[in-house]
Amino acid sequence: MRGRNAAIAVSGLFAAAVLGGLAARSNRPAPIRQPPREQAARQLDLGAATLAGSVLFDSAVEHYRGSFEHRGMYVPLAVASATIAASLSGARQPNRMRTGVHVLAMLTGVAGLGFHIYDISKRPGGWSWQNLFYAAPVGAPGALSLAGLTGLAGQQLRTGQVRPDSQSGRALAALAAIGILGDVAEVWLLHFRGAFHNPAMVLPVTIPPVASLCLAGVAAGAGRPSLRTTRGWLWATAATGLAGVGFHAWGVHRMMGGWRNWSQNLLEGPPLPAPPSYTGLALAGLAATRLMEEAHE
Amino acid sequence: MQTPRATGGRAPDVFTPGGWVPMREYDESEEVDFVIVGTGAGGGTLACKLAEAGFSVVAMDAGPFWRPLEDFASDEAEQSKLFWTDDRLVDGENPLQLGSNNSGKSVGGSTVHFAMVSLRFRPEWFKSRSKLGYGFDWPLDWREMWSYYREVEEALAISGPVNYPWGPPRPRYPYRAHKLNAAALALAEGCEAMGIPWTETPIATLSAPRGRARPCVYRGFCVLGCSTNAKQSALVTWIPRAIAAGAEIRDLAMVGRVEVDGRDRATGVHYHRGGEWRFQRARNVVVAGYAIETPRLLLNSANSRFPEGLANRSGLVGKYLTVQSNQAVWGISGKEIRSYKSPPSLALTEHWNYQDEGKDFHGGYCYMSQGPEPQLWANTQLASRGLWGEALIAEMQNYNHQVGLKMVGEMLPQERNAVTLADETDQYGLPIPRVTYSWCDNDRAMIGHALDFMGQALRATDARDIWKQTDDTCHLNGGARMGDDPQTSVVDADCRSWDIPNLWICDGSVFPTVGGVNPSLTIQAMACRTGDRIAAMARRGEL
Repeated sequence: MRGRNAAIAVSGLFAAAVLGGLAARSNRPAPIRQPPREQAARQLDLGAATLAGSVLFDSAVEHYRGSFEHRGMYVPLAVASATIAASLSGARQPNRMRTGVHVLAMLTGVAGLGFHIYDISKRPGGWSWQNLFYAAPVGAPGALSLAGLTGLAGQQLRTGQVRPDSQSGRALAALAAIGILGDVAEVWLLHFRGAFHNPAMVLPVTIPPVASLCLAGVAAGAGRPSLRTTRGWLWATAATGLAGVGFHAWGVHRMMGGWRNWSQNLLEGPPLPAPPSYTGLALAGLAATRLMEEAHE
Repeated sequence: MQTPRATGGRAPDVFTPGGWVPMREYDESEEVDFVIVGTGAGGGTLACKLAEAGFSVVAMDAGPFWRPLEDFASDEAEQSKLFWTDDRLVDGENPLQLGSNNSGKSVGGSTVHFAMVSLRFRPEWFKSRSKLGYGFDWPLDWREMWSYYREVEEALAISGPVNYPWGPPRPRYPYRAHKLNAAALALAEGCEAMGIPWTETPIATLSAPRGRARPCVYRGFCVLGCSTNAKQSALVTWIPRAIAAGAEIRDLAMVGRVEVDGRDRATGVHYHRGGEWRFQRARNVVVAGYAIETPRLLLNSANSRFPEGLANRSGLVGKYLTVQSNQAVWGISGKEIRSYKSPPSLALTEHWNYQDEGKDFHGGYCYMSQGPEPQLWANTQLASRGLWGEALIAEMQNYNHQVGLKMVGEMLPQERNAVTLADETDQYGLPIPRVTYSWCDNDRAMIGHALDFMGQALRATDARDIWKQTDDTCHLNGGARMGDDPQTSVVDADCRSWDIPNLWICDGSVFPTVGGVNPSLTIQAMACRTGDRIAAMARRGEL
């Protein structure tokens, strides 16, 4: 498949998933003032969809680069698309299919981790910097598992299977804290590979770790930092994820031929779809703080 | 290219097709602080250091001033324009092949087409006579040189491994190693089978953007000129810095003679540019023409006070020319190797540079993965194996599967290996150099060891039809060696000639020994040191 056709195909898949998901939810009127539980659920939906969107485009680009050598390399594209649709549909009733999609996403992520670990270990040099830099990215599939978990949490919150209390808030904070930390590790590895040649490359390994620490404090029930502070760092993390797309677009411009040579440089340059995974995880963290707040009130 | 580009107050901008940068120009009647002959690893680096230290500098090169983005084609024959192919005579028991991998005629010198391998000397090599029992001691301390290696590695943003397996600890390379190609993975596989360490080669091509230079696109034409500026040659690093600091670069300017007055001081250089001989006055002259042209210029500049050539009271100018052995083993892999992709030598082992046990020879060697371009490969098949016609065509069908390991080995310095003047003259009317070279028993023993070892390593991969290329050499050094004693050396540790205090030599020709690694990093480190030393001496009024 030529680069242009591939790009159109993946964008179409994404658009279909988003529109399909939204269409499923649009037949119910939105309440004037949403209860915090509903707000948290919406944030979780959006977080899961953002994470899944990041996985869809990132795995499409990277697996296209790997010529879809194994048929399994198509799986994350399909599962991530389904996760987007399931997350955005905003179900009020328990639904086996939606639950199934989110569980599938979790399992696919775990399977992906296994495949990527196998890919690294079979190469000459094994667990060397060379293979961590250039073989399949070791932690990336985890983002799909996190999307599934986040989507499931949103669904269960909305359907009442999970109570909007401080216990579930703390559990969600722990999940987001760990997710962000995993993302930080991946970003550090790849920005280290790029020798942090642009000072902005330091931002995504400094801001999100603080947010992760704040969430860990919340999860531990330490009472500090305050929810307000935590939310501040989470919004900063979400912004870092969005700004990252812009920085990576700049990075593509700095490759040989720049954007004129997009079909090569989207593959060889910094990955455009990767940074919003921070945004998705930050939304999950914000949902956690919302639940904690409601519990306090 | 016949017409100089760096004129009229501007020089080509190497980062922009058709672009220019402003360049300061000096009048020929003006006595500049330094005129530098040659703009490669030695001269280009020193021009930058001296200009940044505030000296007035004119640096001349016999070759053209290229803009790689528009002047370099993906064509081996076209790119031979980067080589120094003027007439030279070769003789001796093992005459050298000159004109491609060991010489360059461009602003930036042979760094424009070097393989970018940027290795540090093993510390003991700076005192190989005292510590290892062969060759000669350098008048330099390895710790000082290692700090200058660092300066060069940063200036070139060397991409290297996170941890280097051999020698004393070194700071992390500025940029990370590149992704290994299949040829490099074959080297790794062989080393692991032989139980010796290997690593990614520290290499002067970018693995991330830097300034106006783009990262490497793995075009693989490195040794024929990088058309994307990822290669950190002197042309795109030291030279732009030198021009920005006020140096003038004179391209297509062939220096034929260094003028020396009755008080044994150099006064300037006679050079050929724009169809005529001209003269540039200077307070100091630096000769940086590499191991053949530097002795040739000194010998060609003989006068009544220096009848044997300039700076040659020791009689050693042109002597102890020392090259490096560059033999290889090749085979056919079952896998597609496509070794032309990526820089040619992405992985190496320095095991036999740092391991002294189990050798029946002095000195060391490293070996690297290889990626010959097709025309060079056909030439190799013809020259080394005599293949022609059907046999050559059949062999070339294996091109995408061929895989090889090639050594860079330390040959021992011998007085009989020398650059002298022939009776014939070149297009400028200057006597051409005669280059005499013979291997010694130690050289042969090392080559034998390396070919055996590399052969075993290659056999440990899936390669078959393995054969040895026994005749190649690379990297010219020596010919104006440095030392502590005016009787046995041409220049002192600061690259200043013993006989003429304002005549300096700054290139690979000052190497007393060559070590088992590619010399470009050491030449640049030495040039950085020389620049700092000259600035310090100027402050003390010792110039």
